[in-house]
Amino acid sequence: MRLTALNERAEMIGLKQGQGVAEAKAICPELDVIEEDPAADRKLLEAIADWCDRYTPLVAIDGKDGLFLDITGCAHLFGGEEALLEDILIRISRLGFDVRGAISSAPGLSWAVARFDESRIVPPEAMEEALASLPVACLRLGEETVAALRKMGLKQVGDLLSAPRAPLARRFGAQLLLRLDQAVGLVEEPISPRRPVAQLSAERRLAEPVQAEEDILQLARQLAESLKLGLEARGIGGRSFELLLFRVDGEVFRIAAGASQPLREPSRIASLFAERFGAIHDDLDVGYGFEIIRLNVLQHAPFDAMQGDFVGEDRQEGSLAAFVDRVAARLGPDCLQGFELRQSHIPERAVRPIPAMGLLASRRRTGQEDAGSGFFRSERPLRLFRMPELVETIAAEVPEGPPRQFRWRRVMHRVSRAEGPERLSAEWWVEEKEEPVRDYFQIEDEEGHRFWLFRKGLYGRGGTTPDWYMHGVFA
Amino acid sequence: MAEAAVARETLFALRETIARLEGRPIPALAAAAHETLADKPARQAAGIAKSLPEQTGFLPIGVGELDTALQGGLPLDALTEIRSLGLRDAGAASGFALALAARLHAQASDTVAAKSPVLWIGDTVATMEAGLPYAIGISDFGLEPQAFLQASPRKLDDALWVAEAALGSAAFAVVILEVRGNPARFGLTESRRLALRAKAAGRPLFLLRQGGEEEASSALFRFSVEPAPAPARPLPDGSVLGGSIGHPAFRLTLEKSRNPAPLSITLEWNAHDRRFAPVLDTQRPAFPGAHAAHSGADLPASADRPHRAQALGSVLAFDRQA
Repeated sequence: MRLTALNERAEMIGLKQGQGVAEAKAICPELDVIEEDPAADRKLLEAIADWCDRYTPLVAIDGKDGLFLDITGCAHLFGGEEALLEDILIRISRLGFDVRGAISSAPGLSWAVARFDESRIVPPEAMEEALASLPVACLRLGEETVAALRKMGLKQVGDLLSAPRAPLARRFGAQLLLRLDQAVGLVEEPISPRRPVAQLSAERRLAEPVQAEEDILQLARQLAESLKLGLEARGIGGRSFELLLFRVDGEVFRIAAGASQPLREPSRIASLFAERFGAIHDDLDVGYGFEIIRLNVLQHAPFDAMQGDFVGEDRQEGSLAAFVDRVAARLGPDCLQGFELRQSHIPERAVRPIPAMGLLASRRRTGQEDAGSGFFRSERPLRLFRMPELVETIAAEVPEGPPRQFRWRRVMHRVSRAEGPERLSAEWWVEEKEEPVRDYFQIEDEEGHRFWLFRKGLYGRGGTTPDWYMHGVFA
Repeated sequence: MAEAAVARETLFALRETIARLEGRPIPALAAAAHETLADKPARQAAGIAKSLPEQTGFLPIGVGELDTALQGGLPLDALTEIRSLGLRDAGAASGFALALAARLHAQASDTVAAKSPVLWIGDTVATMEAGLPYAIGISDFGLEPQAFLQASPRKLDDALWVAEAALGSAAFAVVILEVRGNPARFGLTESRRLALRAKAAGRPLFLLRQGGEEEASSALFRFSVEPAPAPARPLPDGSVLGGSIGHPAFRLTLEKSRNPAPLSITLEWNAHDRRFAPVLDTQRPAFPGAHAAHSGADLPASADRPHRAQALGSVLAFDRQA
């Protein structure tokens, strides 16, 4: 077991990373050793990254202990780069972390300065100068490369900058030059943000944290109000929204809500979140309140403006969409379903349930054709069981008649009439293995119950008697 | 004399108050309407009432006797309860509810309500035991599957919420709420709340109680539905096809209504015309011998064994001497 991380006091005693635990205990017997938990560390880093969303939507995680923030165009919102850097450093250190940071025109240079120099801002014209005095390890190279460079006497980046490039590339590979160019800004280095960047977003920073749900919803409504102009200017409406709540102590909550139709109306956007709050009520720990609230539009779609007619039929459709959205927001998108008919003669495959949200959107685009009528078939039952239920038949006519009596759910039914069989073969172009044919019968028992029974397979095949199943009930 | 007049006046005032509380039409006006309705089916004897005046706010069943008992039809702004005695009868009860929905769509063929979908809110337990509504079967039954939405909330509280929200949105032609039995969390208070919501929105709510007992609720009408043997399929020459299963039939009992006597009637549902018709006892299929209209051979039944040794290979001709 080795030490992987140290706190300040341990560093003062003179312990080092990579030291064996036994040796460290010998140096300092009262040492507290805690086992490393990479997953928890990662979670913490993610949480800090979430928190950093307040500065810029472009936050990327770097390794085990770093974050890249792309602050292009954001700095002025915080009073300039100095103020921004100071704000970040002070706030994170108040949260109890040892933090360093740097701002420069290249991610590689910021990385190097933050880790091997003091926290500062490097102006674009002084990039090479800032880099020259740093050790070569600041270039994010592999350990062997760093060791080889040291052996060659190339200890500082300045030595590399002044050395001829071709021999360096030959000796240490293209990676070295790439890192070097990235650090001085000759090669663009993209940072990939952790989350998709919102198309549009609006936020409010509050002097006094809010706690009450109504206040949050009221603010969400105001944010939606301010997004409306942007949506209108682009001719779009939002399909998927996200409300970010930054709690005073650094916790960040993300609440997503979708809509079946592109939305612009602030009151409807706010009502989506009202339903979401109703659903997640217990999971949202308000604590000491939220200090920043942001509303993002994650997905959008063209908004076809429609004029309501005098009868108000448009309002009708609108209210259906609003209802669908409310249910989806509170109970999940799968709770409310419509049906899509498909070209298949296998009963359970001929109908596919699809979420009502998708249904409304797709119907708007294409009319639906009736897929179930492509072939001749007998009547289908009103209700179908999710899984066909095994029934015990007492006497069935061989080879292809209905049973005379059968026991289903422990009740004996005497068959008075039957229609059938309707033979449905398996769809060999879909099935993996060969399924037996089904002979369906519409059966009425003596009390007037009408059932849909089928026999799976034929008599006299494979030596076993085929089973009978209950698949549905008629009216 | 004057005293009697005053007393009558008080009585009328009280009646009006009661009517208002119950959400009924004012008695004096209702009585007049009732008379005109009541003598019409009498003239047409027992049979299909051709067409009652299409009243707004009512869904006439189309069968004189029943419409009289319902005072014109099912109210379209109220809660109506449809009850089956056991889960085995779930098919019949759901059939009756969906038939009413189909009829409502047919009645309102050119208004907004025709375009509005039907919402089916299924209780998890009831769905597990009675099956999922099947879109193709529903379209065979006379309802557009495109205009059918199904909600499957996990808990009863959620189901009640969905029902209330759906009624409030007025986006649905009819909302059908299916519950299993008599859950404790769905009592008089909840049904009153839903009934008021339906009244405010002017949309009907059918409460489909599968396998439940009679219990006090705010439903104006309560039916109990049992399955009945279906009449045989009619043939073009007027006779029927023996042993066949024709239009579905239900035995309805109007358990709760403003008429004190419960009314029992057997109806069949014609999905093509979207029309109910009473089934007379003479039409009941009586067929001791005829049991199947299937295409199979009528051979003696055998269980658990093939009735004859299977021939190997292709049989060309049978051996006569054998």
